[in-house]
Amino acid sequence: MDNQTTWQKIWAWIDYRGRREGGIGFILMRLTAIGLVVYLLLHLTMLTNLARGPEAWDGFIHLVEHPFFILADAVLIFGLLYHAINGIRVGILGLGWGSRLQAPLFWGAFALTVILTVAAVAAIVSIG
Amino acid sequence: MSLHALIIGAGSTGTAVAHDLALRGFRVTVVERGEIASETTGRNHGLLHSGGRYAMTDPEAAQECAEENALMRKLMPDLLERNDGLFVAINEEDLTYRERFLEGCARAGIPAQELTPKQALELEPHLNPKLLTAIRVPDGVFDPFHFSMAFLATAKLNGAVVYTYTEVIDFVWSGRSITGVKVLDRRTKKESVLGADLVINAAGPWGGEIGQMAGIKHIAMVPTAGIMVAVHRRWSKRIINRLNRPGDGDIIVPQRRNSVIGTTSWVVQDPDQIPVPPEQIKQMLDCGTLLVPAFATAPLRGVSAAARPLLDKTVGGGKVEGRELTRGFDCFNHAADGAEGLFSILGGKTTTSRAMAEKLGDIVGRVTGVTTPCRTKEVPLATYRAFYRS
Amino acid sequence: MRTLKLRILRGSPTLGRQYQTFTVTLPDEANIIDGVEQIFGHQDHSLMFRHACHHASCGLCGARVNGRERLMCITPVSEFPDGATVTLEPLRNFPWVGDLAVDVKPLLQKMDMVGLPYSREDELADSPEPGNRFEDCIECGLCMSACPVVGSSTKYLGPAPLAGLARLIQEPREVDFSKACALGKSPHGVWRCHSAMECTEVCPSDVDPSQAIGWLRRFYTFKKK
Repeated sequence: MDNQTTWQKIWAWIDYRGRREGGIGFILMRLTAIGLVVYLLLHLTMLTNLARGPEAWDGFIHLVEHPFFILADAVLIFGLLYHAINGIRVGILGLGWGSRLQAPLFWGAFALTVILTVAAVAAIVSIG
Repeated sequence: MSLHALIIGAGSTGTAVAHDLALRGFRVTVVERGEIASETTGRNHGLLHSGGRYAMTDPEAAQECAEENALMRKLMPDLLERNDGLFVAINEEDLTYRERFLEGCARAGIPAQELTPKQALELEPHLNPKLLTAIRVPDGVFDPFHFSMAFLATAKLNGAVVYTYTEVIDFVWSGRSITGVKVLDRRTKKESVLGADLVINAAGPWGGEIGQMAGIKHIAMVPTAGIMVAVHRRWSKRIINRLNRPGDGDIIVPQRRNSVIGTTSWVVQDPDQIPVPPEQIKQMLDCGTLLVPAFATAPLRGVSAAARPLLDKTVGGGKVEGRELTRGFDCFNHAADGAEGLFSILGGKTTTSRAMAEKLGDIVGRVTGVTTPCRTKEVPLATYRAFYRS
Repeated sequence: MRTLKLRILRGSPTLGRQYQTFTVTLPDEANIIDGVEQIFGHQDHSLMFRHACHHASCGLCGARVNGRERLMCITPVSEFPDGATVTLEPLRNFPWVGDLAVDVKPLLQKMDMVGLPYSREDELADSPEPGNRFEDCIECGLCMSACPVVGSSTKYLGPAPLAGLARLIQEPREVDFSKACALGKSPHGVWRCHSAMECTEVCPSDVDPSQAIGWLRRFYTFKKK
């Protein structure tokens, strides 16, 4: 629409009302994309701690041993897996294949994401 | 300075009149209280008549349909499905009309080709296999909204201005002359006045209401409702007609991936809300099943009703006498009814809207001294999408 | 018969917006458009809405029914329980005219740029004779309303125009499609689609724009039909 504000354009992307599988899948792709970019920046920032010597790095590791970060890890893994697996779905659909199956494919992608996330978190917790 | 013609109503009549008058050099304004072609015209069956339907009962109408059909194929070829139609005899009684039908078509100049049942079933496999004969005529299919939009788009390219959601609430007078209309814009709820040199009442079933606003007690039109029933699947490529006298539920029109059977006929007082008599739905489906047995089990897609503005021949008044007007519609100059500058065009059918507009345009031209002849037979219609270019 | 409460967004850019609820009683075989007509005819003559054919050929009566893009004429009232409230709002991503009516100019201008002819070869019927029939796309705008990319960009061509372009390339009918083809390849063409798939889901007319966009991508990439 002409004269749209930036907020209106952003809202158009995340307005979930009336949306079904494909639309929800799209919104989650945007959100996980932003989340992964934010994570990447955080990750790189945290890694600079390596350049600051053992004290800084150990301090950082001590912080992330807190259980809260297991949850954060789970969210990160979910986001990464969702974006990757649904990304394959989007890639296939984007070339014009499987459009009639797009909704079951979304559920399949989502289910696979959940299963693999649970498996990954279970692995992390059992090692810890 | 060109004369300003204001047209009330943007159905098939109003849009065709807009096109005709714009080509004659009038400055044209169209006011429509709703969406373009949203009422009677919208619920039109979409059959571009070959004239076969009237071949036995009304030869003049049949011939006019045949002429307009050929013209429309030339003026808007892309907006028509030019797949012909079949008149199908299902029983012995239907078959008794066979000769009269073929004679009537020959007299009216309608190409008619009789097929054996086997040939008909090859062309249309979903026809009732018990059919006794089928006669092929050049019927066509159109979508009524786009049909009207093509006329209006062309008029707009020639300078016409269109106001939708703009309802006429009164006339503006100077003595016994109408000099304009008072309108209510539904978007802003504001009233305003539109001046005009002449006003054309093309309001279809609401023609009576408009006439009353001008103090004309009795407009020669009777709102006559009919229903259409649409089912899933395009069961025929062509129009399927029942070979018999014109009656209820005797036409099936394919519209994209659906099939529409119609129609019925009963007089209504209020064209604004016509409840569908439930027994008519079953009646239409039964009629459809006789022609195409799949109608018995095809899922229902929609049922609609609309009022046609049928001419009431019992009313006299300002009727323009002594013209070669085709039966089925009439033009009225209401100067004789105390409303100079107001004209009504009542009755008619969408297939012949161009011809209707031509006749009205000729009358209006004579009265106002605008001598430009009608050009709608020569000027091809623009794409309906052109309406949105500005 | 059943009774429904139609909660309709009223107003216009000049009048502001508010929801107004009407009660209608309809036969079970009716569709939502019949309820809207009943309100217009008997309760509130100022209600603005678009409609014409009532059998999903004209493409005019698109609206959001409980948030979802539907054609009101083929949304059966039997989908809703007796006494339910059904919310009706105009389509997204079109300029609002008033009440349920929107201005479809943005879509029709793009369809005009693409130039898809209105009719195509008839491959649906069983008879051996070729014929023509109208294209499936009724230009109703449901896909444009449901597409989140159209929501954020007026320049993106959108599902219906791109599907129209695909059909045009598949069946040119003496139309020179080189300009339209260039539009499809442009930054506002097929590569802006992100496969939200809502267009295919809401289309009432079997067009499947997402599949068409994918076909166009393969066409542009591999340059063969």
